Amino acid sequence: MTDLIKPMAEFSVEGPLKSISFDIGSYNVVISESIVVQWIVMLVLGIVFFILGRNLKVRSTSRRQMAAEYLVNFFNNMVRDTMGEKYRKYTPYIGGLFCFSILSSLMGLFGFRCPTSDLSVIAAWGITTFVLTLRNKLKTGGIKGYLKGFIEPMPFMLPFNIIGDIANPVSQTLRHFANILAGSVIGGLIYFALGQVANGLASIGVPAVCSLYFDLFSAFIQAYIFCTLTMAYVSMAECGDD
Amino acid sequence: MTEDFDMENLSQAIVLGASAIGAGLAMIAGLGPGIGEGFCGGKAVEAIGRQPEASGAITRTMIIGDALAETTGLYSLIIALLLMFANPFIRQL
Repeated sequence: MTDLIKPMAEFSVEGPLKSISFDIGSYNVVISESIVVQWIVMLVLGIVFFILGRNLKVRSTSRRQMAAEYLVNFFNNMVRDTMGEKYRKYTPYIGGLFCFSILSSLMGLFGFRCPTSDLSVIAAWGITTFVLTLRNKLKTGGIKGYLKGFIEPMPFMLPFNIIGDIANPVSQTLRHFANILAGSVIGGLIYFALGQVANGLASIGVPAVCSLYFDLFSAFIQAYIFCTLTMAYVSMAECGDD
Repeated sequence: MTEDFDMENLSQAIVLGASAIGAGLAMIAGLGPGIGEGFCGGKAVEAIGRQPEASGAITRTMIIGDALAETTGLYSLIIALLLMFANPFIRQL
């Protein structure tokens, strides 16, 4: 770059950790910041759920057990209301995804870069949803039912059905990713802009108020929407042969 | 004097300027979710006015509708952020 462009100060959405890359044979392995923060999230969630699930009694007498029962009832009701009775076995996956997504997005409050603002992480979840819908379609209709489902109302709907099948996980992924990334960028910009003003003093209380909406509210809503869409896509993906 | 005006500087300047204009134009798409979510909120308020005891379910459904309508606005935000921070056209120069 020439000296036509001289930025005033640098702005980037990087977190505090640097990524490590090493070679195994001829394959380059990168451990990025998202992976390390996800390990932290897994550790925290594992410990919390392990503590919540110990020493349960039939009639609960402790607040810890009531919290655990509240969580389990919340996820059971959510899955049963959206998917119906015969998809109860998806509850652990939906519950785990929901909690993982919320805690990953809230990691931005601790100074890390959220794993959910990394497209690879969300794309993996979107691909998982796609594989789940594919499995449901193949299980209820077989390969013939699945292929017939593409020309279902009329034969000229074939390209529209294909595009619709691909667009569902893509839009789900991009929605979650862009919301969380926009929250991180706006938070970073507010800190950065206020930090230039009074030698850093103006960036003390104000960004926290904005981060109430962009970080907290956004994280909960996006995790809920992602899980609801996953449940809706999987339960509506039935190529019945009746 | 003639060194300042070589083609390298000029083409970089044009690409950067055009990217800035493009990023600004992309965010015109912020109109869509604004109007759509306002419409959704208005309908939700009407429904609550008609049936106040269903206000919990109506509010939840309104929030879901908001998040779904936000999607296309966020697609344009991705394009604007790409042009501003990870410009692919500069790397081709």
